[in-house]
Amino acid sequence: MADIKAVEVSQKKNIRLNNTAVLFIILVVMFSVFSYVGRPFFFSKLNLIPMLNNLSFIGIVAAVLTMVMVSGEIDFSIGGNIGLTACLTALLLSRGLPGWLVVIIALAGGLAMGAFNGMLVTVVGVNSILATIGTMFIWRGIGYTLTNGESILAMNPVIDYIGRGFVFKVIPFPIVLLVVVFVITYVIMNLSKWGRSIYAIGANPLASYLSGINVKKIKFINFLLCGMTAALGGLILTSLSAVGMPQHGQGLELVIISAIILGGTMLGGGRGQILGTLAGVLILSVLYNFLTIMNIYYFYIQMVQGSVLILVVSAYEIRLAMAKRRI
Amino acid sequence: MEKAVKKYSAFMNFLRTPILTLIGIYAVMLLLFSLSSENFLTIQNFKGIFNNFAVFGILSAGVTVVMIGGGFDLSIGSTAGLAGIVSAVLLMKNITVPTPWVFIIAIVIGCTVGFINGLIITKVGINPIITTLGMLAVIRGVCYFWADLNPRVYNVFVQNLGRIYIGNVFPITTAYIIVAFVILTLILKFTRFGRDLFTIGGNESLARLAGIHVDRIKIISYIISGFFCSIAGLLLISQLGSGRPEYGTGAELEVITIVVLGGVVVLGGRGNFLGVFIALVIIQTISNGMVLIDTPVFLRMVVKGALLVLVIAIDALRNRRRLQLY
Repeated sequence: MADIKAVEVSQKKNIRLNNTAVLFIILVVMFSVFSYVGRPFFFSKLNLIPMLNNLSFIGIVAAVLTMVMVSGEIDFSIGGNIGLTACLTALLLSRGLPGWLVVIIALAGGLAMGAFNGMLVTVVGVNSILATIGTMFIWRGIGYTLTNGESILAMNPVIDYIGRGFVFKVIPFPIVLLVVVFVITYVIMNLSKWGRSIYAIGANPLASYLSGINVKKIKFINFLLCGMTAALGGLILTSLSAVGMPQHGQGLELVIISAIILGGTMLGGGRGQILGTLAGVLILSVLYNFLTIMNIYYFYIQMVQGSVLILVVSAYEIRLAMAKRRI
Repeated sequence: MEKAVKKYSAFMNFLRTPILTLIGIYAVMLLLFSLSSENFLTIQNFKGIFNNFAVFGILSAGVTVVMIGGGFDLSIGSTAGLAGIVSAVLLMKNITVPTPWVFIIAIVIGCTVGFINGLIITKVGINPIITTLGMLAVIRGVCYFWADLNPRVYNVFVQNLGRIYIGNVFPITTAYIIVAFVILTLILKFTRFGRDLFTIGGNESLARLAGIHVDRIKIISYIISGFFCSIAGLLLISQLGSGRPEYGTGAELEVITIVVLGGVVVLGGRGNFLGVFIALVIIQTISNGMVLIDTPVFLRMVVKGALLVLVIAIDALRNRRRLQLY
């Protein structure tokens, strides 16, 4: 009897390990097919480096949002946050502030936005989906109000370096940032006590509260970090486009959240892998880049994004239901 | 200590009685706006206010039904836009589709979208917000199939649908909203469907154990929402006189603000249409007042988002657990 149970547990582990691996296999297959179909353009330096740059800020936000989502909450306001940060950065630069100060102010602004979301969710007790949909409109509205709907040039050596600089003249700086953020979040989620408590909170908040975890504090810090990394993403996007405009990051929440869910994070929390999120981000970025290369209208890409979200969530939900039925 | 407890409960009671609170808020607002703009308190302006909330009012009827059942619908704006542009295309001069058929097709479109939403939410079991968020993007994409046709509506019957005033004062669209709200109130109060819906919103697993067909009733609630979306789409093309793929964008924000402000509980199980109607008037008056006192366009967006957050926060405070441990 005991033996059978042990076997079952090990099988489950195998499934979970395989999930990320399967995603990476899908990524490799997709990449090779797309390289063949989109022949001269897709697999060229002119396409791949911008693709990686675009992917970098999506990945940076997704990594930390994974932490929020594993703890059972969600943050839709990232897109608005990116837009507001871009406007703020460009506006401050146009007033003649030094680049390093602008970066610090932008990150502090992100922290403040994260803190507002965190307060709403932990102190007031609002459903995080609705609260952050509301704050998404507020951030973007403030961005529009600040810039009056116009786009402002953002040219400054420091800001330029964040999105378009090269480390050792080869590696793009955003990729370095991406790797750093992923390593840090991987260490937090997989090797630290904090990460363990995040998983515990997502699986059962009441039990984790009773076992002495400060649930509210951890959720609040997650929101803070999410706000700050979204601001970092906004800085990268501002630098990449050399312009700050309130439309930056519009609809990004759809892409980022579907990438995270594709990576195996459950909507209710409690399960999720940082590496899975990386795979999800890579797959979706490659897919959307390919669609753009194939000259498909933005509105149809938006349609694909919506259906990808629904399909991915359905697939995981059906798999979960099937696993439950098997037990 | 005793005093503090009493104060707290008085505050909670204040929050728990939305309708009286809403009327109070409205009185204060009327005073403020009429002091700041002389054009506010005129019959002409109020005719405009009541005619302008036609689309939001019809949409909030459907969303209220869905939210009482514990669901959620973010795809309303897109669905209304789709029904609107399809019927506008069908009403074009060179396509001869009789007007009743246009109405039937629009309603079928709305109900189909609602049915798909309900099917995914109940049978696959996805979070309704995520599902309808995905549908929002998908349907908005579908709307752009007809983007380059740019249809105009010359059909007099359709034009009159959203523009007539009864006795030159009372807009007919408000009559539609009142009729819809009254019918839905009666359905929710006196039919088995209504009682089951409230039960499901209150406690879904309990309803399932009590033998209620939870999935079927939830799907019906989404179909009702889709039905009202198609009516709203027809009103959109009637009032605006043309069909554009971007009609209805962002309606979900305003409608959810209205419905939650009207006292419908976000988690489901409680809510009535009287509150929703008063909230509808309040939100539209705020929009109108902001125009009259020359608020910058982009600042209005901030105000709308802030209103949504405020309203949801009040809802959370009203219905929160006694001990907020986690």
